Amino acid sequence: MPRKLSSRAYMKKNYITLLLLIVVSLAYGQKFTISGYVNDKNTGETLIGANVIDTQNENIGTSTNAYGFYSLTLPAGKHIIAVSYLGYQTDVYEINLTADTKHNFDLSEGLLMDEVVVTSTKDDARKNVESTQMGSIDIPIEEIKKLPVLFGEVDILKVLQLLPGVLSAGEGTSGFYVRGGGPDQNLLLLDEAVVYNSGHLLGFFSVFNSDAIKKTTLIKGGMPAQYGGRLSSVIDIQMKEGNNQKYAAEGGIGIISSRLTFEGPIVKDKSSFIVSGRRTYALDLAQPFLKGGNFESTNYYFYDLNTKLNYKFSDKDRIFFSAYFGRDVFKFRQPKRDFFFDLPYGNSTATLRWNHVFSDKLFFNASAIYNDYQFSFRGGQDQFIFKLFSGVKDWNGKLDFDYFLNNVHSIKYGLNFTYHTLTPNTAQANNGDVDFNTGFLPKYGQETAIYIQDDIKVSNNFSLNAGLRGVMFSQLGPYTSKVSGEEFGRLEPAITYTGLEPRMSFRYGLSKNTSIKGGVTMANQFLHLVSNSASTLPTDVWVPSTETVRPQRSIQYATGYFQNFQDDKYETSIEVYYKTLKNQIDYADDYVNDITKEVEDAFVYGKGRAYGAEFFLKKAKGKLNGWIGYTLSKTERSFDGIEGGRWYPAVYDRRHDLSIVGNYQLTKKLEIGGAFIFGTGKWYTPTKGFFFTEQTLNLYYGPRNSERLPSYHRMDLSLNYTPNPDSKRKWKGSWNFSVYNVYNRKNPFFINFETNTDFNSGTTSIEGNQITIFPIIPSITYNFKWNQ
Amino acid sequence: MMSKNIFAIIIIGLALSIWSCEQPYTPPVNEDEQELVVEGYIEAGDETNPTFVLVTRSLPFVTEVDAAAFEKLFISDAIVTVNDGSNLVTLTPLCLKDLPEEIRKQAATVLGIDPNNTTINICAYIDLFDQIDRKLGGKYDLNVKVGSQLLTASTTIPNFVGVDSFRWAQPPGEPSDTLAQLLVTITDPVGKNYYRYLTQINDENLIAPFTSVTDDAFFDGKNFEFPLQKAERRTADLDPNTFGLFLRGDSVTVKWATIDKAHFDFWNTRDNAANSGGPFSSYIRIKTNITGGQGIWGGYAVGYYRLKCPEL
Repeated sequence: MPRKLSSRAYMKKNYITLLLLIVVSLAYGQKFTISGYVNDKNTGETLIGANVIDTQNENIGTSTNAYGFYSLTLPAGKHIIAVSYLGYQTDVYEINLTADTKHNFDLSEGLLMDEVVVTSTKDDARKNVESTQMGSIDIPIEEIKKLPVLFGEVDILKVLQLLPGVLSAGEGTSGFYVRGGGPDQNLLLLDEAVVYNSGHLLGFFSVFNSDAIKKTTLIKGGMPAQYGGRLSSVIDIQMKEGNNQKYAAEGGIGIISSRLTFEGPIVKDKSSFIVSGRRTYALDLAQPFLKGGNFESTNYYFYDLNTKLNYKFSDKDRIFFSAYFGRDVFKFRQPKRDFFFDLPYGNSTATLRWNHVFSDKLFFNASAIYNDYQFSFRGGQDQFIFKLFSGVKDWNGKLDFDYFLNNVHSIKYGLNFTYHTLTPNTAQANNGDVDFNTGFLPKYGQETAIYIQDDIKVSNNFSLNAGLRGVMFSQLGPYTSKVSGEEFGRLEPAITYTGLEPRMSFRYGLSKNTSIKGGVTMANQFLHLVSNSASTLPTDVWVPSTETVRPQRSIQYATGYFQNFQDDKYETSIEVYYKTLKNQIDYADDYVNDITKEVEDAFVYGKGRAYGAEFFLKKAKGKLNGWIGYTLSKTERSFDGIEGGRWYPAVYDRRHDLSIVGNYQLTKKLEIGGAFIFGTGKWYTPTKGFFFTEQTLNLYYGPRNSERLPSYHRMDLSLNYTPNPDSKRKWKGSWNFSVYNVYNRKNPFFINFETNTDFNSGTTSIEGNQITIFPIIPSITYNFKWNQ
Repeated sequence: MMSKNIFAIIIIGLALSIWSCEQPYTPPVNEDEQELVVEGYIEAGDETNPTFVLVTRSLPFVTEVDAAAFEKLFISDAIVTVNDGSNLVTLTPLCLKDLPEEIRKQAATVLGIDPNNTTINICAYIDLFDQIDRKLGGKYDLNVKVGSQLLTASTTIPNFVGVDSFRWAQPPGEPSDTLAQLLVTITDPVGKNYYRYLTQINDENLIAPFTSVTDDAFFDGKNFEFPLQKAERRTADLDPNTFGLFLRGDSVTVKWATIDKAHFDFWNTRDNAANSGGPFSSYIRIKTNITGGQGIWGGYAVGYYRLKCPEL
């Protein structure tokens, strides 16, 4: 069994072991595998991406997969293994490998990095220069929670927007654009389930409740072959599994919402649960003021519920069940006019997973996933009732294998099958005895993908990740062709699209602390969401590829230079990318939303290109930590149906985008955080002039996106105060004070024109107004933790 | 349409009223990029307006326009012709100030402005001697020459689908002694039809409601009753409790028309452009049927209905 070493003991052992090792490996040349899980010692949560390194040979090491499993094959004999994870104490173990060995490592949280005299240990910072993966960033949830927030709500997606290459879709929204891609080109996964609508309240809040989340990984560059179906990025969010040692609770009370999480063992060490909920109540509080008024009983709120259960049968078999359910509920009432509508919408997901360790080298996971997004509207006045609904529903089966072949090859392969049901905006109206129904039928599709990728260490300096993903999408019946009129029966393919997606990235180490990386990614996207508004709305409808709507395709080339300074205290990178996009979709600019037509009948098709450079400096350790990200980029689109194919700047284009994020631990009790954001103003289509018809002024517009709004910038500050940080009591409270937009910058959210014409006297006035919706906004949240 | 606008407007309205703030904004002014605008209508039916065309220039962004600058927007030296298939008729340019008092009042009414309070001098092109053969099913080509610029357009007057009946009803919700809702029944012929209406209260002008056009997607080929809204000026302060309702005792004129697709597209994009705006809808470019400029050349198959909103 491995023996845990103190750091001093390790120092002494170092040389002796090295000698022994050489002798042993020369003598035998035999290899054995050590495998198992890396867990948090206190909660039993598995740690994703923890490093397991043979300290004698820096190039021999691995990191845990999405389930916390690792496998490392080493020559027989004694080894010093270091296990590390950001924010945890690095543990060092001595092992004597004489046979294939199973061992689980348990790490403790702590900041003791500098007390451990292990200089050759890889920690997270080393990945910057040593991992083949580029354009990928992991953000531990604890880092996210320290940053300033809007309305007291911690929001993962808003933190992602502070990274280079990721642009906010608009002030205050959780929507984002990655490297010139549209909002529908981001693959948002919550425990492998696709989340189709990531925003509450028109996107001002994301659907991800931070208390239920373990880890968030953003991939904007070389997308590994295991991911597919979207062109621009992957946001892979893993939910917590729940404490399998003892009961614990965590929560917060804020100005507009509160949240509560409860977790604990079902069977200690074997099984645990977590339940986490969140609800807003701002308008509930306003109800007494609405009473008797024109809008009595009008209300809006949203809520989320996350839950996860797991059971460990043995070290070889484990099952997980996770689920999410969230709804926005908007009730509008105007009792005096007998006018009302209800507008509920939201996502639900459920994921059932089975992990099985076939051997020390072969890890297997099977997942069965259900997810849906539903939007509905029901409103009316008097006898007139109007209903509208739309949605997406997926059944998804996945098989994934991690084959840790040897120290040169680490292979992943798998299969993925999804059955999609997409309900277009379907309207029903009833006025007394006259009924109307648009009668649009759902569209069906199946998406199959098969992939293989190999992480290859060619030499000490050169490594390669080569992957290939084969995809196939069929639109399935029942369906009647709009082109030929041909009818297709249930499950009968009406049209099939296929694609081969090579994914390749390499890393070449120039020195211990510098490397260059590069990569090519091809991707296909078969589901599309097109919005004619500045940000996506819950009313926007996902549509599948059909005989008329062709799949979106992209190729991205990226390369970068990576360097760490001062013993990995500072990580820096410069990445450049060039991306081409085919079959992009938009609406023509005289498009009027018409519920009696299917949206795809109004689509226009075109192409896009995006290129840019991203600069990143990060300091993850020490009392002061944070990052600076800067992006210089350009994104354009061209549609035959829009101004004759002129290349124009996309809504997703922003020339300069700068984020400075910092966090400083003043004392044990006090921590301050801050963020400064600067971005070139968004493009908009300017008003060129006004003209009269029927004595009313109408606006007419210049070329699409030919003017920019003024630049966007703001600064946010936060203060986290923990009254008793060293308290041994079960209850620990802390306060978060945040100020959004500290210097009250009036960033334009939109521009509004008011015109006033008196045709009789021939006088006219036009007033332009720039509306700011987020001035300085302070908030306060009380957060608490309870441990059994 | 409905859901999207209501949804965005109300939620944002709530949010804005709490948090937002405004400051003046001046867009770039492009004086030289102004376009020629045509507004002309040709009507057929039992009671019709004479055919007329206004030719104006668009305005750049300016904060104030006085009467003198306003009058300059109207172009009085254009050559305007209409071809009805057998005749080529040149419309007569007429400016209000050149007309005798009585005719001037009539002309103002046709142009949709208040005949008694108009001080402005507007110039229009009118088929003064009714030479154009206006009929249901007719097609009319318009040519407008301004200096060296030529603007062209074509419209049709479709078959007329009139109103079967009107009905006055209590407004939905709380009963009212003073307000009434107007319901109209039509029998829509099978096939695509497009409708537009305007309302007039007492001696005021005929004006169009916020949503002035509809196609028959909801009631194709059916006998269908639906409410007509009292039109309100876009600049007026709106009261949610009386919006769209008629006052009992009012005299009400409804101008009801069938129009063609291009004419529908113009008002549909225009109404939607005017009703939306704001943060969550992008711009809507008004779909004109004028080649070489902005505006509309629209044919109406028209009927006028004069009603009295009964006292209780």
